[in-house]
Amino acid sequence: MSGLGGARNLLRHPLRTALSVAGIAVAAAMLLDMVMLSGGIERSFERLLLARGFQYRLSPRGTLPFDTEATIPNVSAVVTMLRRDPAVMAVTPVLGAAIFGRRRGDDSLVTLFGYGFDPSTHALDEMLRGRELAEGDSTGILLGAPAASLLRAEPCDTVTIVGRLDPEAAAPAVERRLVVRGIVRWIYDYRGQPSVGTTLPLMQRLAQVASEDRASLALVKVRDELATPATTARLRRELPGIEVNGVADLVRHFRERLVYFRQLALILGSVSLIVTVLLVTTLLTIGVNERLGEIATMRAIGVSRASVLREVMIEGLVLVVIGGGLGTALGLVTARYLDAILTSFPGLPAAFSFFVPRPRPLALAGMALLVTGALAGLWPAWLASRAPIAETLRAEAT
Amino acid sequence: MLLSLAPTPVRAQRPGVAVERRLAERLGLRVGDTMRLASSPDSAGRLFSVAAIYDPPRDPAALLKRELRLRMHLPDLAALLGAPDRIDRAGVALRPGVSAETAAARINLSAFGYRAAPSREIAAESSQTFAVVSRFHRAIAVITVVASAVFLLCIMLLKVEERRRDAAVMRFIGVRRRTIFGALLLEAAAIAIVGALLGIAIAWAAGALTNLYYQHYFATQVVFSLITPRIVLFGVALSLVLGVGAGALAALRLVRTRPAVLWGRG
Repeated sequence: MSGLGGARNLLRHPLRTALSVAGIAVAAAMLLDMVMLSGGIERSFERLLLARGFQYRLSPRGTLPFDTEATIPNVSAVVTMLRRDPAVMAVTPVLGAAIFGRRRGDDSLVTLFGYGFDPSTHALDEMLRGRELAEGDSTGILLGAPAASLLRAEPCDTVTIVGRLDPEAAAPAVERRLVVRGIVRWIYDYRGQPSVGTTLPLMQRLAQVASEDRASLALVKVRDELATPATTARLRRELPGIEVNGVADLVRHFRERLVYFRQLALILGSVSLIVTVLLVTTLLTIGVNERLGEIATMRAIGVSRASVLREVMIEGLVLVVIGGGLGTALGLVTARYLDAILTSFPGLPAAFSFFVPRPRPLALAGMALLVTGALAGLWPAWLASRAPIAETLRAEAT
Repeated sequence: MLLSLAPTPVRAQRPGVAVERRLAERLGLRVGDTMRLASSPDSAGRLFSVAAIYDPPRDPAALLKRELRLRMHLPDLAALLGAPDRIDRAGVALRPGVSAETAAARINLSAFGYRAAPSREIAAESSQTFAVVSRFHRAIAVITVVASAVFLLCIMLLKVEERRRDAAVMRFIGVRRRTIFGALLLEAAAIAIVGALLGIAIAWAAGALTNLYYQHYFATQVVFSLITPRIVLFGVALSLVLGVGAGALAALRLVRTRPAVLWGRG
């Protein structure tokens, strides 16, 4: 008896084997998807936060970035203080505000999300067409593709941007004609978000917060080796009125909000493994029971118990390996489909992904599947190796 | 908004505030206590008196944000924020018979700086998250049903094949194929029903555990897992259809095989 014998036994019942492999493939696909989902959310969020290398987000005390409409007052003083810090490489304050634009052609008002930022840091955008805003550019604006489509504008066109609308006076409080410098992709925007960007002072004037020098948050970049809990603690001490969050803190907050998906992944992943165990054990047990006479004959002519045990276990492993291979392909396809569903969550950055393949967890899942297959084969293998030779042969003969 | 506790005794002119139960528990607040509320850490804010402690409505949308809320009179909040006569939104009740869509369209014709929207539209917009979660659940359910179907088919096939010798004996003594087929089908149906009932019991227990865990985790009374009669009916019907279908396929295969082959001598 050899390992090949185990594989050959599976070919004796092609329908049964095909169904078992199909069952294991679906279970393995589910396991793969759930492994990708469990850690993928955090990995994807972390990647998004570090897209431009800023490791800290400073927001108003008690809030998370853009979670409320609260803003930081006197942000220039905060930025100046941070720039003096030898550990800090770059700081960029960002103001987010709801503003309006006049659609070219019919002059109707459309609602936009405005970013006020320091264009030299490229902290928020990726240029698609045209050019970046120059430092201190008070007449230029960058448009995201959805905003450009809403405003019907292209680079070099002039658009009218309206600040706060005053219902009492029935007139815009601030109105500016700005030249579109470029069309960009805003890194943190959700799908279809109509965002525009100007320099911070201009957006502060549009949002009417210039007098108090307000910003929604500040992004801080330190040298990688300094992005430590000690730096976080020091920044918190130095800025008592401001919430200082490192990437790990934000990932933790995000993880708390999406705890459901992590737990669902754990439960469904475990169920997949249980289904695999049940399938392999059932199939092998019935297969062994059918072949008891054959196994007893082999034992009678001198085949060792260990060989019988090995053959049955290899049979289980072959099933799991073939099922797992098919399941990997199936899992990658279903992960894309499930990701397309979940990334349509309102308010989620378009660059975000729920199902992220990572080598280590995937290797662990593969190992878990193999171990599961081997363990599932243990009981039927033990049954086969302990079968009483004489009794079994007598029963077979009658 | 920021708050701090002040040990100052309550005075009659102090404005009242209603505090959400979770917040009250976290801060150890009781009705009659005094608390200081401020719009920013560097402002002195104002003292308020806790007039009530309330349980918020069961709103799943508010769960994940885990915000702690309190309620106060509009002028008090406006004064605290330094934004008099400014609101985020206003509710409008229409006279009976007036369509919300028509009224919203009329208001929007003259609206400047605000937008009117019927409640139905707002509800549809704010339930987008749950619509996505439902779609995800449906997709997972489809995968689960496929996995269960394959599993069931496999088990039924094995179960029926276990009866090879019984079927062979029955065929040798002259029992008709149809009778054997019927008996195997009945067995498959019985297994499917027992399995479905067991599945419902496990689902009920898992649902109860889920509710217990998440209600404690989010400190809410929102029901997370709900097993309705429709779901039970769907589960039983599906397992019956799949079980009987799989059993029929396997039984058909068995009764078409020659008895000698079934006996292992063919």
